[in-house]
Amino acid sequence: MSKPTPRRAALSLAPVLALAGLATPALAQSWPSQPIRLVVPFAPGGTTDLIARLVATPLGESLGQPVVVENRPGAGATLGSLLVAHSPPDGHVLVLSSIASHAIAPALYSGVRYDALTDFTHVALLSLNPSVIVAHPRLGPTDMADLARRHREGARGLDMASSGAGSSNHLLIVRLGQLLGKELNHIPFRGAGPAMTAVIGGQVPLMSDSLPSAAAHIRQGSVRALATSGEMRHPAFPEVPTLREAGFDLVTSSWFGLSGPARLPAPVTERLSREVLAILARPELQARFAEFGGTPGTLDPVSFTQFVESELARWGPVVRESGAKPD
Amino acid sequence: MELLIDNLAHGFSVALSLKNLSFALLGALIGTAIGVLPGIGPVATISLLLPITFGQEATTAIIMLAGIYYGAQYGGSTTAILLNLPGEVSSVVTTLEGYKMARNGRAGAALATAALGSFFAGSVATILVAASGPLLTQIALSFGPADYFSLMLLGLVIACVLAQGSILKAIGMVVVGVALGLVGTDVQTGQQRFTFGIPELSDGLGFAAIAMGMFGIAEIILNLERPEAREVLKTEVGKLWLTKDEFKRATPSVLRGTLLGSALGILPGGGASLAAFGAYMMERKMSRGRHMFGQGAIEGVAGPEAANNAAAQTSFIPLLTLGIPSNAVMALMVGALIIQGIQPGPRMVEAQPDLFWGLIASMWIGNVMLLVINLPMIGMWVKLLQVPYKYLYPAILVFCSIGVYSINNNVFDVYTTILFAVFGYMCSKLKMEPAPLLIGFVLGPMMEEHLRRAMLLSRGDWIVFLERPISATMLGIAAFALALMLLPNMRKSKDAAMAG
Repeated sequence: MSKPTPRRAALSLAPVLALAGLATPALAQSWPSQPIRLVVPFAPGGTTDLIARLVATPLGESLGQPVVVENRPGAGATLGSLLVAHSPPDGHVLVLSSIASHAIAPALYSGVRYDALTDFTHVALLSLNPSVIVAHPRLGPTDMADLARRHREGARGLDMASSGAGSSNHLLIVRLGQLLGKELNHIPFRGAGPAMTAVIGGQVPLMSDSLPSAAAHIRQGSVRALATSGEMRHPAFPEVPTLREAGFDLVTSSWFGLSGPARLPAPVTERLSREVLAILARPELQARFAEFGGTPGTLDPVSFTQFVESELARWGPVVRESGAKPD
Repeated sequence: MELLIDNLAHGFSVALSLKNLSFALLGALIGTAIGVLPGIGPVATISLLLPITFGQEATTAIIMLAGIYYGAQYGGSTTAILLNLPGEVSSVVTTLEGYKMARNGRAGAALATAALGSFFAGSVATILVAASGPLLTQIALSFGPADYFSLMLLGLVIACVLAQGSILKAIGMVVVGVALGLVGTDVQTGQQRFTFGIPELSDGLGFAAIAMGMFGIAEIILNLERPEAREVLKTEVGKLWLTKDEFKRATPSVLRGTLLGSALGILPGGGASLAAFGAYMMERKMSRGRHMFGQGAIEGVAGPEAANNAAAQTSFIPLLTLGIPSNAVMALMVGALIIQGIQPGPRMVEAQPDLFWGLIASMWIGNVMLLVINLPMIGMWVKLLQVPYKYLYPAILVFCSIGVYSINNNVFDVYTTILFAVFGYMCSKLKMEPAPLLIGFVLGPMMEEHLRRAMLLSRGDWIVFLERPISATMLGIAAFALALMLLPNMRKSKDAAMAG
């Protein structure tokens, strides 16, 4: 993963923090003075929604005001994000930022009406979820080497499903194809559920999925995990190698974070970051995250902002090469 | 078999605890209430109530959520029959004959048929889920993209064949519906189609917005035009209960609907939304009262309502056996379970027998409760028709707006509803029916998705649609239906049947 120098990012943040610090110290004293809206730009019930809710309840308890999850799905998670970008920066409206809305969408859709960096105050990384390559237990390849052999030898190449065109899982398939030297036949679905059904049913032999959404199916043995895409093996699946170990230089994770509108007062950002990091460090939350295949985040506002910046820089070119057509 | 009975007995012992029973009742009541409020669907309600379930035991939580789901199905038929307001795909079909029955003073009978038919179908489907869930899952899994495409194509062809009045107009409406369904992000490429740069359109037009605009609100505009109808829909509510003859006509329809609905419900790729349409078409072709279709035929309420409820039950099968939700409500239930630390899937039967069998038992208990809640309330609902329009209409408009807004928490959907109300009014002036349009709207995009996926997998080889036995059979039936439509003498007898 490419890392921007801390100095550069600190410089880019400095004016924002200075402005925010000057703005309204009185407001920060009384914050939070009313329930906090956490806009989740995804439909209820999915992984994103779960992560938001797992964090929202304890966060409300720590802050003394309830944190209310509000689902605003639509347009690749950009509708909900736009709403928050245009909200007053008083710390009472926050958004669940993600790789979809803050790293891929700006490159994928020309109609995105916010800037993923300057229109937001990025507060904390909540979760990093590696992807996993899964295969049908009987029809699919047995490991990554087998996958590479079958893909190169077969006249037609292998089919690989994903949760949708332009998703981080699709981009992983594009990158994997580049490393294999031959494009994989990408089969997009409308969400991870239908794609997983097709793999279990043997309609498609392979799928790239986020680990949380595939975890249960791997444990049940209905699909076989070939490799995960994290830096290291995931503690919940120690027997599954990483892509890098399998010989593919590819490290990628989808991520979810907590962000607010630009110019959030510095005391608010600091308090939020402190409370969220404390919650993420709790053993029971660590256990829940591990169980469904996520890794709780540890980044402070400055390093999370750098992280978003590096993700934006990284995914833009891949999106353009992916063939996922921007409008 | 004995094991099944033991398991079910265990399930009932879980579900019949005072606490679980009261939550099943609560869920059914909430579900009925939101079903009756047009537009506020189970998805919006369950997502609102989801946090409440976190404090509950998993079994109790899921029993309540399931109650809301069934309750909403029942409640939705009530507004479809009384006010021509379908909130969901399944109740579009119920408006066709149900609302006509209400205008003929048979609202009570239509509501009773819906309740009894749903109850019967729900009971049968529950037993099916308990007895052969895993087996049915295997059948569902064997459906590939090519098979789904052929199934949907068959649905569209039959929709045209059996439309009322002009076939040309019906085909036209189906095509317009398909076109409307294609608005939004292309699943295969991520390309924006027909969105005119409006971000809200990138997920497509909302079904509820179109359905409520074209049916309910357009109907209000039409009624305002008729001075004689301006006071109340019906001063005479008519007999509340079914006559003996109606009962005899409805029974075979319920049986057929149950069968079809149970079968289609297990298909996660959109099977459940075909259930009610399919049952309506089947009744229109096969039932004894087919000559009365279009004027309020009880078969047209009984069949689809049974099919719809059977499909609602059997659509739990993919969730319970694979851990894969087949619709948005199921996805919410998975969310509720995961928050509780339970992963739905094949191992749930062994790992969480209380939950699994308790849920199945509570499906049936929920159906009983809905019958108990709904039958005595029929009299009350029917009285709603005596409310003068000057009070009723503004109330409907307000509730529709709230309901449509609540789907995405976005005003855009309210504007869409208004636009389609005007369009619906124009269509009825031109004698173009909205139902084929909605069928096209629902099936069109699914068909496209499955077609292109099948072509991607076959590397562009069309033979795949004929190679797969399921697909080939569906296509064969579709071709046969088309041939019937094109044969002139067949046409004549169809028109004669329509006229009579």
